[in-house]
Amino acid sequence: MNSLSEIKLARSVAPSELERPMSHAHISLRNIRKTYGDAVAVENLNLDIEEGKFVAIMGPSGCGKSTMLRMLAGLEDVTGGDIQREGQRINELSIWERDMPMVWQSLALFPFLTVRENVEFGLRMKGVGKAKRKTRALDWLQKLGLEGYADRGIDQLSGGQRQRVALARCLVTEPSVLLLDEPLSALDAHLSVQMQGELKRLQRELGITFVYVTHSHSEAFSMADTVVIMNQGRIEQAGGPEDIYLRPATPFVARFLGGSSIFDCKARRLKTGEMVLEGPDGRFKCTGSELADLDEGQQVSLIVRADQISVTAKAGWAENEVAARVVGEEFIGALVNLRLETAAGTAITVQLQQRDMQALDIEVGATVTASWHPEDGHIING
Amino acid sequence: MGQMSKDMTSSLSTRRLSRLAYGGIWSLPLPLWLAAFFLGPMILLIWLSFWDVKNFLLTPDFQLENWQKMLTAPYFWAAYLRTFVIAISAAALVSLIALPCSLAISFFLSVRARMVMLGLFVVPFFTSYLVRVYSWQIYLTENGIVMKLLAAIGIDSGSLLNTPLALMIGLVTLTLPLVIVIQSISMLSLDKTLIDAAYNLGCGPRRVLFATVLPAVRPGIVLGALFAFIFSFGDFVTATYLGGGKFTTMSILIADTVKSGQQWPRAAVVALMMIATLLITALASIAYAYRRT
Amino acid sequence: MRVSALTRRLAVIFMGLALVFLYAPILTNFVFSLNSDRFPTIPLGGFTLEWYRLILADALVIDAFKNTIKIALIVAPIATAMGFAAAYADYRFNFIGKRLVLIFALMPPLIPLVVIGLAMLAYLSRIGLSGTLPAIVVSHIVLTSPFAMAIIRLRFSQIDGDLEFAAQNLGASNWRAFWEVIIPATKTSILAAFLLCMAVSFDEYAVTWFVGGLEETSSVRILSFLQSAVSPRINAIGSITFITSITLILGAQILVLRRLTRGNS
Repeated sequence: MNSLSEIKLARSVAPSELERPMSHAHISLRNIRKTYGDAVAVENLNLDIEEGKFVAIMGPSGCGKSTMLRMLAGLEDVTGGDIQREGQRINELSIWERDMPMVWQSLALFPFLTVRENVEFGLRMKGVGKAKRKTRALDWLQKLGLEGYADRGIDQLSGGQRQRVALARCLVTEPSVLLLDEPLSALDAHLSVQMQGELKRLQRELGITFVYVTHSHSEAFSMADTVVIMNQGRIEQAGGPEDIYLRPATPFVARFLGGSSIFDCKARRLKTGEMVLEGPDGRFKCTGSELADLDEGQQVSLIVRADQISVTAKAGWAENEVAARVVGEEFIGALVNLRLETAAGTAITVQLQQRDMQALDIEVGATVTASWHPEDGHIING
Repeated sequence: MGQMSKDMTSSLSTRRLSRLAYGGIWSLPLPLWLAAFFLGPMILLIWLSFWDVKNFLLTPDFQLENWQKMLTAPYFWAAYLRTFVIAISAAALVSLIALPCSLAISFFLSVRARMVMLGLFVVPFFTSYLVRVYSWQIYLTENGIVMKLLAAIGIDSGSLLNTPLALMIGLVTLTLPLVIVIQSISMLSLDKTLIDAAYNLGCGPRRVLFATVLPAVRPGIVLGALFAFIFSFGDFVTATYLGGGKFTTMSILIADTVKSGQQWPRAAVVALMMIATLLITALASIAYAYRRT
Repeated sequence: MRVSALTRRLAVIFMGLALVFLYAPILTNFVFSLNSDRFPTIPLGGFTLEWYRLILADALVIDAFKNTIKIALIVAPIATAMGFAAAYADYRFNFIGKRLVLIFALMPPLIPLVVIGLAMLAYLSRIGLSGTLPAIVVSHIVLTSPFAMAIIRLRFSQIDGDLEFAAQNLGASNWRAFWEVIIPATKTSILAAFLLCMAVSFDEYAVTWFVGGLEETSSVRILSFLQSAVSPRINAIGSITFITSITLILGAQILVLRRLTRGNS
């Protein structure tokens, strides 16, 4: 429920990179389909990943995000479609021919090798000479703040240090793509935030393409240039984090990101010629260019972000109003997430400052009026 | 373009093929070996039970006479019943002896001592059972160690050899290590919070043991007893050397049947009856062990 | 468990008695192998190495020991390799009927020895193998490989399933990743399995007796001795077999337990 504040907090760590110039697709997924027997894991997946971008792929568990990453790495065969790298089909390449090192969720460090031997592994497989291997490994260990740990065993390291060894092991081969499978999920919250900053910095400095699978909103939104949201084996939306945050393309995305209220509505043209949205919670006005494209009677969802809804004790003040009962409140620092429910059962989330909340002086169970400006409603089909 | 896509598919199939070969190299050897030298003999055994013996020569045939002969012979059923009773008694006795040991290993020892003890219990299982049975013979025989010790405190026991007691001593020697290990594994994997919860609810130590620990480790106890049953049921060494041939078990019956006039098909019938019994017992025990209460 | 100190102590004492019960036959065997009296009982006679001298001069015993070692040295590598292959296949691949194959592979030690012996003898004599050392080798591999598989599979269950793929991901081919990752991670359990297979092969008497014909191993020799009469020579052979198998088993245990305790820390 606190995803909204998480996103805001996280975004201040690393600003969006939307203004970077567009480059050609580094990796392309074309009509990818993956089935296990009758079960469809991934379907009709199309995605272009630009060179040097940080792409975060997120979605609920079982949405196909890990399967997609494993197909990129060659751990799984695609059932249909093409994976391309710089325009070349790479479906047929074996895992070891793909040169897309991966940071594993389990880290998968070799427990019988020292830190340095772990980092050297990829170079050794490539046939790099002993002296050169050592220099490069030590160099990377130093870059990641692990000088002095080269000859330790993996079991002598802390969680954060292991994370860095896993990164060094991949980066030492100077790949152009790095795959990351929920790499921070084992770390505690504090360490995770610290690593997020470091990962983003590394990615920017090295100019490597990062494909990062995560289920954490804050990780995706704080680091990525492009966020891809998947559900049931399909891509629901792909775009800049700002874009997804402000304009979720589907009700699923809005729900998944949380922090928005979703009203089921039908488009209605009034006698005056004005188009409005009407649903079980009442009639709402909207501005926005989407309105013009709607047909009479079309089913839409009206999305309003929690920070754009106001709550008042009395009705009759605003254009878009709905009466709702207070069902819960959560205090997050100076903010309050107020949870409301309308008579029709629609859940509304409102974000308020603590002092405004105190000024309102309402309790759970009270009936209040929620309202928003017509320009703040965002319409999506379905 | 057409040529290229053709190359692609062929390279894809060679890759699949090499992967299949890699999988086959690892997956196949043991199953193939067992199919050839374990399943093969077992299937032959079934076939053999329908063969005929003419002038001390085995001849392939399909006749039910061996089955009829054996299954109507009183000495077969006497041996069957005897073996079954011996095996059941041994399983029960061994389980009872193993239980306090397993409890001690699982709950009353430090991790280190536990490892050492389990190790010590495992060792005898893999050391010559024949020699250990011979040692028991020395203990129990006429004028043996046990008799002399008992005489020293004024008890005249006579030879203990060839008694049910001697039989049980041998079978406990054979199966105790295995049963203790199986019971201990199930006790060690028991969720300790369950025990604490029972104490919290005000159960006394005895209630905790009988109402919480034992039901929770039932699969381990049942499986332990099952293994003791399987090994005791198949035994012939104890019955021969500690039972003195007084207790003809199924295994001894097989050996005798083979020796007397090349009656392999009839021995095969006995062997198949043993396997059937063990299979049914195993399935019933496993069903009982994992039954939901 | 919270029980009184008395209960604790009683249980531990009982466990100690069970241990004494299991080791008493082994210990007395050593004692009587060095005892000068022809009939083994108390009070003991003098110290002698006569029984060892006798068996070491017995050509049958020497041949039996030679056979035993030959067989164990052929059986252990093959059974370990096959057990390893099956354990690795179970860890690495998924295929239909895998569980069934596994249960099947664990069956041989559970079938009564006489039954296996009978079936093996019937089968091997039909393919002209019975009464030869290869017949013993073939059947010992059937009996020992399940132990090898179990002990190596136990080790695999402690290995991160991504490890091998991580090596491939860094450029190692199937076989390279196997040598670089799987072998180093499992080598102690492979050695443990090897020792265990040797021990099981060493002690097997029933099936060996059935299929071996005139070829004897030391265990079969003991069986023949048992059939004749009580003699301290049995104790002397027994001591040699005990020392051998206890060494093998303790070796295997130390290898496995060292891994286990290190894995826990």
